[in-house]
Amino acid sequence: MVTIERSTEQINQVVSALKERIGDKVLGVEQPTPHRLYVTVAPEAVVAAADALFNGLGARYLISAGVDKRPLNGGFEVLHFFAFDQANVRCALVIPLKGDPPRIPSITPLIPGAGWAEREFKDLLGIIPEGHPDPRPLVLPDGFPEGLYPLRKDYPYDYKPPLDRSKTFPFKEPPEGTTVVTVGPFFPVLEEPSQWRVFLDGEVVVGCDYRGFYNHRAIEKLGDSALTYNQIPMLAERICGICGCVHSTSYCQAVEEAAGIEVPLRAKVIRTLILELERVHSHLLWLGLACHILGFDYVFMQSWRIREPVMWLAEYLTGNRKHFAINLVGGVRRDIVKEQHPRILEVMDKVERETKELADTLLNDMPLLARLKGTGIFTPEEVRLTGAVGPTARGSGVPIDARKDHPYAAYDLVEFDVVTHDGCDNLARTLVRVGEIFESIKIIRQCVKLLQELPEGDLMAELPEEIPPYRHGMHAVEAPRGEVFHYVLTGENNRPYRWRVRAPSYQNIQAVPVMFKPGTTIADVPITLGSVDPCFSCTERMEIVDVKSGEMKVLTEQELYQLSRQKTKELREKNTQ
Amino acid sequence: MVDSKVKQLLLALRAGKVTFAYPFEPRPSEPGFRGRVVVDTDKCTGCGGCADVCPTRCIRIIDVSPTYRIIRRYLERCIHCGRCEDVCRYGAVRLDLEYEIATTDKRDLFIEQHLFMGSCSRCGRCYVPPTPLDRLMVVGFRKDEEV
Ligand code: SF4
Ligand code: SF4
Repeated sequence: MVTIERSTEQINQVVSALKERIGDKVLGVEQPTPHRLYVTVAPEAVVAAADALFNGLGARYLISAGVDKRPLNGGFEVLHFFAFDQANVRCALVIPLKGDPPRIPSITPLIPGAGWAEREFKDLLGIIPEGHPDPRPLVLPDGFPEGLYPLRKDYPYDYKPPLDRSKTFPFKEPPEGTTVVTVGPFFPVLEEPSQWRVFLDGEVVVGCDYRGFYNHRAIEKLGDSALTYNQIPMLAERICGICGCVHSTSYCQAVEEAAGIEVPLRAKVIRTLILELERVHSHLLWLGLACHILGFDYVFMQSWRIREPVMWLAEYLTGNRKHFAINLVGGVRRDIVKEQHPRILEVMDKVERETKELADTLLNDMPLLARLKGTGIFTPEEVRLTGAVGPTARGSGVPIDARKDHPYAAYDLVEFDVVTHDGCDNLARTLVRVGEIFESIKIIRQCVKLLQELPEGDLMAELPEEIPPYRHGMHAVEAPRGEVFHYVLTGENNRPYRWRVRAPSYQNIQAVPVMFKPGTTIADVPITLGSVDPCFSCTERMEIVDVKSGEMKVLTEQELYQLSRQKTKELREKNTQ
Repeated sequence: MVDSKVKQLLLALRAGKVTFAYPFEPRPSEPGFRGRVVVDTDKCTGCGGCADVCPTRCIRIIDVSPTYRIIRRYLERCIHCGRCEDVCRYGAVRLDLEYEIATTDKRDLFIEQHLFMGSCSRCGRCYVPPTPLDRLMVVGFRKDEEV
């Protein structure tokens, strides 16, 4: 485990590196806990400061957030978040901005992974990232009135402006002589409705363009203008239909950090246990769906069968199979009592045994391996640049895992290994997930043991009269898909002033275009998208537009699967010959 | 390759049939399940604690006059989190084990209560007679009081 001395050393190093690089452009340093650092820098020095952290000190870029601070001090604020994973330190560059529209030099040319985040604050807050290589809209719908910014404080959360339907989205021009395959706006592989335009030369992918956010639910806006601190966990949980508990835990931990609330140990252990249950079911779900895409429906059915008892167990422990509603700021709502322990262990034994058998048969299945191996190559350097997280990063041998690097809940009390793999391809990402199922089961067993030792009933911390306003809290939880990051700036009226959520797919989807290496064929597109594990929702259709003839072909879900499965079949035949 | 196919076959055979006959056979939920919201109107004092904490804000309180309060629960929006049950000191609202509550008419999920309240001459808040003082001593008038 990382010691506090190591964190302090890292923080001192960051501060002195920044002072050396940008001198008196460092406007202030705040260090609320030994693992957190907020450095206020002048806007003109932001690129140099980000460079010093990202390239100079090897920090990992997390996310950026914009805040409308006009009601407080007349200006705006941008925060760029970085993590030092070896030292358990998270650091934010706080950049106060004046003027309207406020302007800030873009850090995207330096850190490609910041592309979306900067486009997002441009759309939602009207903060202009100057020098951004791709300043197209990201979040707002087509024809949204100009000069209206939904995340600003003077924009009512329930206001719906009229849209100018004649405006369309400026998609990228496809390269000369290529065919465009439009996948979406409702795509089978992605959780959100999202649209991919894949540029093809013959059947080989030469580029792609992405458009998403068709179903933006304004969750952050609701959180900071309509709900109260303890209503938000239930909303946070609904950010994702598969890994919801990670969001509520992460949010609660951010508020707890800001307010200085110490959660009872038993509550922490329960959070850990529930989070790991969630990982087990999520990875089994993914395994099934990934194989389904490739045409291995046998695995799909078996892994979902194995998963079902995990869902029942979750329902037994929390009252619902998916939306556990177990977290509140300050602790958890339900205890896991002695009588429930044998059943947890029983289910875990069964799941472990059956998953082992399934994994065994899978990893000897040559056609399956052939489909996964060598496709969707993603190198460690690309991981760093795109800010990819979770199994997507660990499949490229990058051992980042918030549970180990920035221990939260009770992860510092349990023993487990961070599963990594050096293959850098779809197979490696699959192996990482399979390995993690077993690690999670190991953690759950240890949690049960801890629960047996701890006295029952101590679940909630004493909450202060009022959560002190205008304090920062940032926390992350290692979700099945990667690190979930929440930033909370506390506010008045019993609600946050700003709540920023970064789901792992936010970074991982940005990494997908990088994975389409020369030689990738259209049949590999679904599994490569799938390998970063965005949730798979049902498709409506996809279109193939032949640029040269202007002819349009609409592919149904069936035909898309067909393409992917045809390739498997061919491989199978080759294999048996 | 053939070997792995045989293994797969064995695995599937061993699992056998796992599908339930539901809905032809009942599948009762286990204790602790958060199902349908039921209100015991006799016990409810109209304190409004549940409306304060409900994350979907589906409980609306309308004070027609200082002595007459209407509580409307639009339970089609309810997410069955159970927070109302947590904060209700009187056990007036509860989540039971019933889950077959899907309906084509959302009025089936609507509960309206009419409460005749006394009003405190000091703070003007209303309370249900006849034991106002007792009740005033304990009820969570504040948001998110200890749960
Ligand atoms: S918290 Fe209980 S007593 Fe108060 S209004 Fe709600 S149901 Fe009635
Ligand atoms: S269960 Fe939750 S959502 Fe439903 S009425 Fe109660 S507090 Fe509201």
